[in-house]
Amino acid sequence: MTEVDELWSRIPLDGERAFGQWAGRVERPVRLYLRPWAASVDVECIVQEALLRMWLRANDDGAEPLTGENASLRWCCRVAWNLARNESRKRARETVTDPQEMPEVSVGPEEPSSPGLRQAIADCVQALGAKLRSALLARLEDRGLSGDVAIAESLAMTKNTFLQNIVRARKQVAACLGGKGVAIEEMVR
Amino acid sequence: MSTNSPEDLLVEATLGAWRRRDRDGLPMPPAEWADLSDAGRVRAYEAQLLARAWERALDDDGLSGTVHAVLARIR
Repeated sequence: MTEVDELWSRIPLDGERAFGQWAGRVERPVRLYLRPWAASVDVECIVQEALLRMWLRANDDGAEPLTGENASLRWCCRVAWNLARNESRKRARETVTDPQEMPEVSVGPEEPSSPGLRQAIADCVQALGAKLRSALLARLEDRGLSGDVAIAESLAMTKNTFLQNIVRARKQVAACLGGKGVAIEEMVR
Repeated sequence: MSTNSPEDLLVEATLGAWRRRDRDGLPMPPAEWADLSDAGRVRAYEAQLLARAWERALDDDGLSGTVHAVLARIR
């Protein structure tokens, strides 16, 4: 049994805590699996909905148990793929270039981030000017709870100014990380 | 440092994990996502991957904004 399988099996007993740990290991592989749909759907929406459906499945006493190595990850990928296909059809965007066949799930669980990467990002964020730092940190610390208008208002910025600042902040942090030898390209593959 | 392009701002508007919900409770893309070209959407996808990696690295629990948003939804 892999660590992901172990976390999955604990969800009915340990609830949100185990689910959060499980989701933290599968979110990125599921997102990577959806790359063929990137031009057709907002993958963020699909990943969130797939994770939510996995929470419901984990707590469904009548659901058939998932078996095999990393079965919950593979199942979540399939759920997400079907959601993406349905969303693409709903938006009437399905074209001959849309992926037709669901590929094998060849991605494995995500390993936790290294302390070194955490320190490097923190140092680069700290090096930003005050306005850029506050914009980026506000987004990072919001944890997906608020829209940009609300975050911008909390900083006494317009949404446009907030976005301008956060774009500049990301560019400067990316350049800073590059200077520290962090391979940004590997984070998007 | 280069000037921000209009596409930079559209992409950035898709990078937060907060999403509106439709009548069925399903998450909806930000309005700006619809204004992106196909190439811009692929760029937004890759920028989301990077943004989530930074969030995971900085979060005390090692979780991204996406996972936190889902946890908030089930509470």
